[in-house]
Amino acid sequence: MGFPKSGGNGFDRLYREVGRADISRNLVEAELVTSVSWLIKLRWIAGAGVLLATWIVHALFQIGAPIAILSGIGVAILLYNTFFFVSERRAKQRRASAEVFQSLAIWQTALDWLAMTLLFHYSGGVESPAIWYFIFHIIIASIFFPRRTAFLLSVLAIVLVGGTVFLEYIGWLAHHPLQNYLPVALYQNPLYVLGVLSFFSTTAIFVTFLVGSIQERLRRREAEVIHLTEGLQRATIRLQAINDISKVVGSTLDLKQVLERLVETTAKAMGVRACSIRMLDKSGHYLEPVAVYGLSQTYINKGPVDALTNPLAKETLSGKVVNIPNAPQSPLLQYPLEARQEGIQSMLSAPLMGKSGPMGILRVYDVKENRFNKEDEEFISAIAAQGSIAIENAIAYQAMSELDKMKSQFIHTATHELRSPVSVTRSLLRTITAGYAGEVSEQQKEILERATRRIEFLQKLIDDLLDLAAGKVGKFVAHEMQPISLKEVIEKVVDRYKIPAQEKDIELCFRCECPEEKTYVTATVDSLDRVFNNLISNAVKYTPNGGKVSVEVQPLDGEIHIAVQDNGIGIPEDALPHLFSEFYRAPNAKEMVTEGTGLGLAITKDIIQQLEGRITVESQVGVGTTFHVFLPVAHLKNQTPSPMEKRS
Amino acid sequence: MSKKHILIIDDDADQRLTVRLPLEAAGYQVSEAKSSEEGLELVKTLSPDLIVLDVMMDTATAGFQVALTLHSPDPNSEYKAYRDIPIIMLTAIHTTTPLRFAPDSDYLPVEIFLEKPVDPEVLVAKVKELLPN
Repeated sequence: MGFPKSGGNGFDRLYREVGRADISRNLVEAELVTSVSWLIKLRWIAGAGVLLATWIVHALFQIGAPIAILSGIGVAILLYNTFFFVSERRAKQRRASAEVFQSLAIWQTALDWLAMTLLFHYSGGVESPAIWYFIFHIIIASIFFPRRTAFLLSVLAIVLVGGTVFLEYIGWLAHHPLQNYLPVALYQNPLYVLGVLSFFSTTAIFVTFLVGSIQERLRRREAEVIHLTEGLQRATIRLQAINDISKVVGSTLDLKQVLERLVETTAKAMGVRACSIRMLDKSGHYLEPVAVYGLSQTYINKGPVDALTNPLAKETLSGKVVNIPNAPQSPLLQYPLEARQEGIQSMLSAPLMGKSGPMGILRVYDVKENRFNKEDEEFISAIAAQGSIAIENAIAYQAMSELDKMKSQFIHTATHELRSPVSVTRSLLRTITAGYAGEVSEQQKEILERATRRIEFLQKLIDDLLDLAAGKVGKFVAHEMQPISLKEVIEKVVDRYKIPAQEKDIELCFRCECPEEKTYVTATVDSLDRVFNNLISNAVKYTPNGGKVSVEVQPLDGEIHIAVQDNGIGIPEDALPHLFSEFYRAPNAKEMVTEGTGLGLAITKDIIQQLEGRITVESQVGVGTTFHVFLPVAHLKNQTPSPMEKRS
Repeated sequence: MSKKHILIIDDDADQRLTVRLPLEAAGYQVSEAKSSEEGLELVKTLSPDLIVLDVMMDTATAGFQVALTLHSPDPNSEYKAYRDIPIIMLTAIHTTTPLRFAPDSDYLPVEIFLEKPVDPEVLVAKVKELLPN
């Protein structure tokens, strides 16, 4: 289909992204992953904290405690944190699923609570100041887990603390008091135990509620942000798609290619089964299928689509995007049965609007019911707008190409029909003048020579007109252009005018101030010859006897500057702006030389422009004229310039 | 010594006249053909020493076709006996048309290319060049 591969891949990727659209899940996952690694970081501090606190209590405050066990708990925390640290790293590297991170979080919480319970038990149970550290865990759990889970975990903490305290109270579990900490043992004082437990429980529940409420509000905000982000990302993806479509579609001016690329890229960008374009025929009555992607030939050829009666076509061509969620049942469809057979359930149609009204319809099809939403409608509308511009450009280009062809045809006809009889007439006159048809008297000969001069002028006019016409339709074909020595061309032209100059006693000189290899320009010999032939012949023609004409070539910043200077009649100031116009001749030029087509300088300028150069003129009446031509230098990269074509 | 025989193939009677008169004056025997088909027929019957050929006749490239047919390197060509007859090609197409009109063995197997209007003297000189006595 001629669809660029990279573009295709781009759209496939885009399609996948739009198709899944699970941006919110991605954000939740990302948060979970961040939380797990944050917990791990915190735990390094917690583990080290336990070890440090144990040492401080023992060494600084001389408080008796089961140091070995407490230090063991600290080390255990650091050990299992190392394990989680490694697991988390690996999970991240292999881009593990959310479930893996979820279970990591649960296992961490479980081990943390176990460690906390042990720490509590071995630091004095109900007498332990560490009891309040449970609150940290409850806060963390309330942040990370859903509300219900957080409450259950709070209850679990209360049960763990309460259970330990109760078992120590009834003596089933050994009590490990902190020596030199409390003056009396309180773990068997029921009032104290009850007080601590009830305050702990209420604090735990209240903290859970408080954190949960704050967290819920934050989550709601977050959900809003996610929703907005999602919308933004979808909009970006679609904008990107539209941009890509305009690029792909705009990269050609061939109408068929534009249409084919448009249907293919639209189908891929929207992730739909098929896409088609129907354009109004010349009568504006029927919609003809012009490009199709993903539809069967049977469906395409199902029957004529009458733009005046088909309800869907009518509505779309009125300028509306029409969304059909259930095609086989839609009253707007002219061929519902065929749509069913094709498996089409949803359709979305957008008008292709040209400058002078509707041109056709861009339509996407899908096998899912109710496939298209408001966003899709906006999207296809944007694509249709971009597509319409590309289609109109391609149509305009096609029309121009056809016009170009017609012009070339005209030139061809003119060549044969106009030039041939003139040239034959001239040959016939020459045959008589030369005496091949018998004796000719002096008077007859003079009349024949006058006729010949007139016919020669006519011939020149025709040649110039043909040159001009050929130039306007783009005469130079890239492969015909080659590096050509400007010096060689100009020398030849100067040689050609040596004799006419001598006849008028004009000094004609040529100076080239740079080595020949620096005078190469990309052109054709004919075109350069024509440019300098025109300029030098004009200079000789409009310079009075005894004057001077000089041609100078100089290098100038990647360009070649050629100056054709004479001390002739000059050009009046008010004639200068018209000098390069077709058929224009300055009044003083007409006075001096009656014959002239007024096309020479127009052709010269045309050729120079085609060669990406420029021409300027400075002149003063009675003093002289200088034409400056600037042409880009051809770069001769290891390539020897081809010798000039030899012409007879 | 018998006169050298020149065949003019051109659909334009006036053009044929402007070629015939100077050549006859220069002492050549001249025959005329009004079309490519007639020209190819006459090549076989007259076996001329030289052909003056017009490019544009009933089609824009009829002259090319004649030149290519006569100079075809095909060993089974029915014109292989006439392969070495020199050809002067005339055309009204201006030099700046995108087609190449220079003699080129790959592209256009003709000996000399002349642009119309052809000076009678130039024509005679070119013919003498190709048909030395």
